[in-house]
Amino acid sequence: MPVSWRRTLQSNWFHVLVLLFLVMFPHLVGWITGDSPLGVGGRPRGQSVFWQLIFIELFIFAILAMSYNLMFGFTGVISFGHALFFGMGGYILGLVLEKTGAASEVGLAAGVIIGIVVCGVLGLIIGVVSLRLRGVYFAIFTLAVAEMFAIYIGRWPVTNAEDGFVLSNLPAFLNPARDRLTYYYLVLILMIFTFLFIRRLINSPTGSVLLAIRENESRAQSIGYNTLIFKLLSITLAGMIAAGAGMLQVILTKKVGPEILTVSFTVDPLLMTIIGGVGTFSGPVIGASVLHLSERIFNREFIIGSMSINIGQNWSLILGIAFILVVMVFPQGIVGTWAKWRAGKKTTLE
Amino acid sequence: MSDNILEVRGIHTFIGQFHILEGVNVSVPRSSITVLLGRNGAGKTTTLRSVLGLTPPRQGEVLFDGQAVNGKRPYTIAQMGIGYVPEHRAIFRDLSVRENLEIAERQKGDLERHIDFIFELFPDLKRLIHLSGGNLSGGQQQMLSIARALVPENRLLLIDEPSEGLAPVIIEQLMEAIRKLAAQTTVLLVEQNFIMASRLADQYTIIDDGQAVASGKMRDLVQDEALVQRYLGVA
Repeated sequence: MPVSWRRTLQSNWFHVLVLLFLVMFPHLVGWITGDSPLGVGGRPRGQSVFWQLIFIELFIFAILAMSYNLMFGFTGVISFGHALFFGMGGYILGLVLEKTGAASEVGLAAGVIIGIVVCGVLGLIIGVVSLRLRGVYFAIFTLAVAEMFAIYIGRWPVTNAEDGFVLSNLPAFLNPARDRLTYYYLVLILMIFTFLFIRRLINSPTGSVLLAIRENESRAQSIGYNTLIFKLLSITLAGMIAAGAGMLQVILTKKVGPEILTVSFTVDPLLMTIIGGVGTFSGPVIGASVLHLSERIFNREFIIGSMSINIGQNWSLILGIAFILVVMVFPQGIVGTWAKWRAGKKTTLE
Repeated sequence: MSDNILEVRGIHTFIGQFHILEGVNVSVPRSSITVLLGRNGAGKTTTLRSVLGLTPPRQGEVLFDGQAVNGKRPYTIAQMGIGYVPEHRAIFRDLSVRENLEIAERQKGDLERHIDFIFELFPDLKRLIHLSGGNLSGGQQQMLSIARALVPENRLLLIDEPSEGLAPVIIEQLMEAIRKLAAQTTVLLVEQNFIMASRLADQYTIIDDGQAVASGKMRDLVQDEALVQRYLGVA
């Protein structure tokens, strides 16, 4: 094995381990439960397929959270309107697939391209109009724009207003209801691609400027950078990635409705980023995993003997308390706290 | 071509509702070190920030190499050839020493062209090149902050309080470095430490209560104890 490969593996051993686990995961569950990863009785049923669904949702949230982290964690721009890009991506793909009469493969390709381009342009326009606003004013502006879109789309007859519409024109190879395993690997690959793309971007000279803007925007300006252009780049890329996540979401649920434009698709990635670690590469993925898996596992009623504890009833309260604790006790999130602890340990040993 | 690379003419700058600079005039001759002196809160830092457009003046004129720069954005002014070393060792703590230097490149190869000079001025930076900026000591951060301004071809360096909070031995090192770099470019310095300022500068301007109250050659100021006592409180 070449030395450079060995070095890359050594410095990324944790990521490689997680990747191997995720690749093997459907088969591991299948092996433990005896249910085939392809389904039971020719249908997408059984434990392995069920857990594939949960992990696909997790991967989609991780992509969304990574896109939010690019803007918030690496550039220092806080937006409350990220759901707009997620929802618009889903809507545009759905509209192109269902309302244009195009063949499913052509509709899919066109929908993905148009959706990503439109959301990129939308991010650019929102940025140009609002980025001269600072901090909370920018955040409120983005929230207002996102809510405006959500209300309008929720009343638009073309998209069946609040009812939304079903995706029935998906290509056969991309139908998670029939073949969930293929979709699992597709979304996993896209999540890894997003992770690598953001890591490459942040480790490039452009990424250094984004980090500099996050730390002190006027300082970055004083060395000659038009920070507005870099912030626009960050918002545009984040919007395009979020649009991709929205498309994956509507393909998974096979439904497009105004619920994908709700503020929860802004708040969730924000929480995931903060819990995982703002401005870290793995933080949003870990935050998405912790939040989504804990919700899926604990958000229900537990019966212990004759006693029943309904955690699901109080899930929002528990989540709120957990979030307050994280912000107060581990403001750097899981990854940031871990890195700090390791750095402290290393210094002590030295 | 004027003898002065920078002319600040009657600028009025506000921060919020506060009128900080009330008609400040400063002239900076080419290839010199000019120091802005004055008590805390007199308006020295605001003058530097006004030149760079970070706190844009509402009235008056700033001419850099004969060109009016007031009204331009800070990055445009910086790109014209003005390097800024803010107070409080303003480096980027999350970036490594190398990244802190690379980020200041305006043209490809700027860093490679000047790296030898930078390492000659600040040899410590060479061995710290891969360390994160946040892990440097105060003196090393100040050196990095000045080094960053030397990466592109700047014709004027604005350096704000380089000696603030540093040990005497580090101050000596910095003075030596500023003296060397002044051989290549023009420096406008803000400095509270009168001894350091008097040993470094060719010209001075005293700012008091938002106004330039005296200016001239540094060697004349050193002789004028009354003026020094009156505006700087140094005997």
